[in-house]
Amino acid sequence: MVDVAVIGAGQTKYGNHPSGLKGMWAEAAERAFASVDQNFEPRCVDEAFIGSVAFGGGQLGNTAALLTEHSGLEGIPVRRVENACASSGFALRDAWMAIKSGQADVVVAGGIEKMNDLSPERRRFWLGVSGDTEWERLAGLTFPGTYALMARRHFHEYGSSHDDLVNISVKNHLHGFENEMAHIRKEVSFEKAQSGFMVADPLTLYDCCPTSDGASAVILAADHVVRRFTDDPVWLRSSGAGSDFLALHDRPSITQVRATQQAANAAYKAAGITAADVDLAEVHDCFTIAELMATEDLGFAGRGEGGVFAREERGVRNQGNVCINPSGGLKSKGHPLGATGTGQAVEVFKQLRGSVEDARQVRDAEIGITHNVGGSGATCAVHVFGRDRA
Amino acid sequence: MNEVIDWQGYLAMFDQEALMIQSPFIHHDAIVFGADSDYTTMAIAGLHLLASKGVEITTVRSLPLVNPSAVKSATGTTVVCDDEDTVRCEWNLLVGEEATLVFTNNLERDLGFHGPSELESLDSTFYADIQAAWEQEMKPAHVSQGAYVSEAAYLEGAEARLAFMAQSTQADLIWPPRQLDANGQRLESPSQPLMTSAVVESWTKLSAAGAPSEFALRAPVLGGIQTVFVRFEQGPCGVFLVADDEQYEPAIGDKVTFVVRRIYAQEGLIRYGMKAVRKSN
Repeated sequence: MVDVAVIGAGQTKYGNHPSGLKGMWAEAAERAFASVDQNFEPRCVDEAFIGSVAFGGGQLGNTAALLTEHSGLEGIPVRRVENACASSGFALRDAWMAIKSGQADVVVAGGIEKMNDLSPERRRFWLGVSGDTEWERLAGLTFPGTYALMARRHFHEYGSSHDDLVNISVKNHLHGFENEMAHIRKEVSFEKAQSGFMVADPLTLYDCCPTSDGASAVILAADHVVRRFTDDPVWLRSSGAGSDFLALHDRPSITQVRATQQAANAAYKAAGITAADVDLAEVHDCFTIAELMATEDLGFAGRGEGGVFAREERGVRNQGNVCINPSGGLKSKGHPLGATGTGQAVEVFKQLRGSVEDARQVRDAEIGITHNVGGSGATCAVHVFGRDRA
Repeated sequence: MNEVIDWQGYLAMFDQEALMIQSPFIHHDAIVFGADSDYTTMAIAGLHLLASKGVEITTVRSLPLVNPSAVKSATGTTVVCDDEDTVRCEWNLLVGEEATLVFTNNLERDLGFHGPSELESLDSTFYADIQAAWEQEMKPAHVSQGAYVSEAAYLEGAEARLAFMAQSTQADLIWPPRQLDANGQRLESPSQPLMTSAVVESWTKLSAAGAPSEFALRAPVLGGIQTVFVRFEQGPCGVFLVADDEQYEPAIGDKVTFVVRRIYAQEGLIRYGMKAVRKSN
């Protein structure tokens, strides 16, 4: 079967971006195109998949056609992929499958979200649309609320604590501080993160990712055309995905995310690796408890040991076996919903090629993964990237 | 009348011919509803109390101040609101000028109730703010999509929401209801109610900043909103807002029971649902 490589990747800076959708997408696409080493032009692209929640409505329908027309990609087959915050993780999976199936040789996967041009009221109701509206929202739960329920239960079952979450927040701010593309570039002390404004007890402001604008794009190529574009590809070795009940109360457990476990198991198996082989992981830390649980679900820590993993700072860059969120994660780099999944892939691509800022480089990185979650865990995509083809 | 009963957040007096139920709150010498109550929620509580005393009411005649659909879903009782005597109703629901209701099957009787003398006085600012929030929320123009539940979706789940009706399978009870099972077969309609007590497995308190926009008007007035994740004795789990929680912070392991209250208003309609209250020992 065809192998798939990443030959280029780029993104906007995340944060409060001055441009609208078209300008942001053009910027990300331009950077992705420019990152390809040779012989690339937009007409090389056979198809494109663009993830977006279409936050705020805006160009809700046919978003992808609008964006590709502003990035020199007009005329190719395109579609918007929507899976809440995992939209572009699944766009990446669709792009990977398009090449694996032999239907396309060069495919763009991307994502975009414009979140900061809305009134606070409109922003708040759009932040709720990806959760279970009929039961959870009627119980007053937004995503901070659902993740707060998970956190308190994890504390109860496993003896983890809010201080463990504080460690995650401090780490991700540390990692993001040197990232030129990060939304929040500031280090945060343990004491400050410990005493943040309460949003959804026990989660404080320092446990929650920011509301970001952003766009990201990666360019994938089939093995038989890769050398035309680069001698230094990063191989997208596998794609795994899973799903679970939309609402927490229907799940067997609220202290683990079954969709992550399914996606990781499938991706690891297809890539022929285990969690112990992973050097760096871009993990979906929309809330710090999400990262804590993901370290368990992805196999970096045993069941119930995510708190210890965080407490012992095993995920800090160049300190443990695996670096968790070298970009700063959603917490520091930012979370423009639909752009997050492929934004994670941009980071892994650059890390494995050794092209991030020197201070952020994960040493001797050979294998990296991305972990992109929709909602409170209803959908998840995990991708394995490697310097080697297999 | 008999002694005053503290029932689902209201005060009630009962004999075999009549039930008087009223709000426990007073403001400027008038009995008023609390933060999430109205004639509908109080009528439902009254019917629950009557049922617990062995009085089953199939139809009741009332002024159109209660929501017949919500009462029917929550209790099975049909509320007849028209003036014509087309439907025979043994019981009548009399709506007071203040936050009081009387169920009676004898209109000839002197209903000279003497309610409880000790009522809780509501702070004027709180009362005014919460009334203003509901008034604003009830405006048809106040529409949100964050927790948008259309009328059709709301009514489809009404019996599960207001009476905890669950689907029964050979293995277990399913709640909230589902459509198809793992074999692709359509599950039977909900037919068995869950027991109305459950144990708290987790909880949170959302600040005004963390609450969905539907609650954005009232959350600041209430000082945030509390939600519990509970497991029922028969297995299913659910999430619920907490009612009457001015003096209550949940804890994992707490036993709770449920009352019907206002959840929020959307497109000019009140959405009702169960809220959790701490179960007294």
